[in-house]
Amino acid sequence: MTPFIQSMFVIARRDFLAIVATPTFLLFLLAPLFMVGMGLAGGMGASQLADSARGKGRIVAVADPAEIEALRAADSRLRAVMPREPALLELRVATPAADPVAIAREKGSDTYAVMSGPLDAPRIVEREADSGSGRYLALLAGEVRRAKAAGDLPPVTPRFESLASAGTSIAVQQSLGFGAVFVIFLLTLLLAGQTVSSLAEEKGNKVIEILAAAVPLESVFLGKLLGFLGVAVLFIAFWMALAFGGGLIAATQMDPAAIAAAGKAGKAATALAAMPATGWPFFLGIGFIYFVMSFLLLGAVFLGVGAQAATVREIQMLSLPITIFQVGMFSLCAAAASAPDSGLARFAQIFPFSSPLAMAARAATDDGQAVHLLALGWQALWVALVIWISVRLFRAGVLSSGGGWKFWRGAKAAAAAAAAVEAASSQPR
Amino acid sequence: MNDFSVEADGLTKYFGDYKAVDQVSLAVPTGSIYGVLGPNGAGKTTSLRMTLGIIDPDAGTSRLLGGHKPQSVRHRIGYLPEERGLYPGMKAREAIAFMGALRGLDWSEGRRRAATFMTELGLERVIDAKIRKMSKGMAQMVQLIGSIVHAPDLIVLDEPFSGLDPVNQERLETLVRREQARGATILFSTHVMAHAERLCDRIAIIARSARRFEGTVDEARALLPMQVRYTPRDAGDSAAVAATLPAGAERRGDAWHFAIEDDDVEPLLARITASGHGVTGLSISRPALHDAFVHIVRQVDASFDADAAEDAIEEASA
Repeated sequence: MTPFIQSMFVIARRDFLAIVATPTFLLFLLAPLFMVGMGLAGGMGASQLADSARGKGRIVAVADPAEIEALRAADSRLRAVMPREPALLELRVATPAADPVAIAREKGSDTYAVMSGPLDAPRIVEREADSGSGRYLALLAGEVRRAKAAGDLPPVTPRFESLASAGTSIAVQQSLGFGAVFVIFLLTLLLAGQTVSSLAEEKGNKVIEILAAAVPLESVFLGKLLGFLGVAVLFIAFWMALAFGGGLIAATQMDPAAIAAAGKAGKAATALAAMPATGWPFFLGIGFIYFVMSFLLLGAVFLGVGAQAATVREIQMLSLPITIFQVGMFSLCAAAASAPDSGLARFAQIFPFSSPLAMAARAATDDGQAVHLLALGWQALWVALVIWISVRLFRAGVLSSGGGWKFWRGAKAAAAAAAAVEAASSQPR
Repeated sequence: MNDFSVEADGLTKYFGDYKAVDQVSLAVPTGSIYGVLGPNGAGKTTSLRMTLGIIDPDAGTSRLLGGHKPQSVRHRIGYLPEERGLYPGMKAREAIAFMGALRGLDWSEGRRRAATFMTELGLERVIDAKIRKMSKGMAQMVQLIGSIVHAPDLIVLDEPFSGLDPVNQERLETLVRREQARGATILFSTHVMAHAERLCDRIAIIARSARRFEGTVDEARALLPMQVRYTPRDAGDSAAVAATLPAGAERRGDAWHFAIEDDDVEPLLARITASGHGVTGLSISRPALHDAFVHIVRQVDASFDADAAEDAIEEASA
């Protein structure tokens, strides 16, 4: 091991232990639990709300008694193929007193649309202009008339065949790509931002001079980054293990028949059967490596920026632009993931700070593997470059200016010192 | 290896327009204890930092341990910065091992040596205490141990005595001597003359950003004439006594104080004996390093004042 790598690991080890061996870390580790809990509570609340609201919505058709049956039959035929199921259809026999506007205003339920009058020229009262419910009622009227005109047709007997080895659709692959972008983004957002304050500790307790004297600053920066990466990986591993263990327990507790019976299991199976273009093992592996790269790249930038900050307050102020920067990279890559071969996607893949996200998305849609090696090399180059620049800035500014731990204040402090000396020396004795 | 562990030549550093260090050169013989003395803010710390390559000089070079660049021999150097700092959450033993590990020492060996050093220095109670629980002086001793735990060839200590009680100062002096006996070269800065006088083989005095003196302690003391304190037996006739003494002799109580050149000692003794005023007390001594230091710094300040005064006159006449 070269001294450089060795000292890097000494720094990384110290940082890792200093973070992990505290009670606060437990809170940090378990924080997603609160998020999951909140999500569950919110979800349950929302679904209860939806439940209580369901059944209150309706659409009403006021028709002649003769047409009621035909309308009901047409409704059951059409309802099944509508992309979004229309609200419950209420059929009423037309009476002279029936006023569609009055029906639409009846209390006790949400009435989206009311159709009345003859079917060839119905009057449709809508709650909102040009609503889907209104159009559905019109379609219903048309269907009834068509059925009447055509008479009894023999039912169509289709034979469905499914393509067993069709490969995964492009849309699914693109959403896999988007999923990868989202997961990597979320993890870096949660974990990489910490690096911004990491050098503040050494500046605060003056250890920085010991470090700067003993080892190259590059290995201080890289070691810190590595320590934080270790924390991030520990965090991810913990939750992966928890999720995996939970999944196993759930699988053993559940009756296989119940799984088969549940319609959702079928859907999950199809999702699993969907393959990213490069295959699952490669996709997951490269996804993890791109997470590491994304973490190192953004972490290096934040570390370098944070190293210039003089106070905790400045670091707090920096967290907003940092979050915005990350969200910006995310939106760029999300857009790129949904348009894999566009110029935007190319840009996102080449631009160093979005490259890990965009390339992870590319692994889902494009089966070339060699290009990832190129991308990783490119990103590693940028990690090195960012560290190099940060160290130069840090050396030039923070370390040289003695008391003023800030590069743009160095000159000012020195000028003030010079003025003080001048004043002192010109005092008559 | 050549004869010098530190060869710094013409180090210069500007902070903005202010010249913090001006052409400072240091040559520290291998195996010696070398003191860098100077008033507060003279540029001692900046000079040491440049010597060690922590900050880059604007001009000048620094070579350590036989012509090496400072960065290439980090593992053979121990450094105690002026601004003390340790991770407060670390235990003393770990902190020392950490500092050793930074300099390439094995962790377990570092922990072992930490315990040994701390026991020797009377700190065995706090070997496994966290730094934040310690007094400032204790933490400083821990940091000092941390900077020499890897048995470096060159030890640089910036104001090592400040903040220590007399007992610990004594221990530190012993430690420094022991490290020298081991073969290490020690370079330290201070503004307390007593330590420098007791410890240093050679000293450099830095004042107003530049080196104003370099040599042994005795050479520094020789800058000032010897001081004589003479008490005649019969003190009645002060005018007659004054006549036998050099001009400028000053009477305080019964005793006379004056300075003489080295060559004048014997003639003075002869004159006193011949005068018949008698002797109840006579001491002829070199002034302490303290006086030499104050003398040098005052001279430098005076020349700066003169410059400033000239500038003021020029400005006024312009």
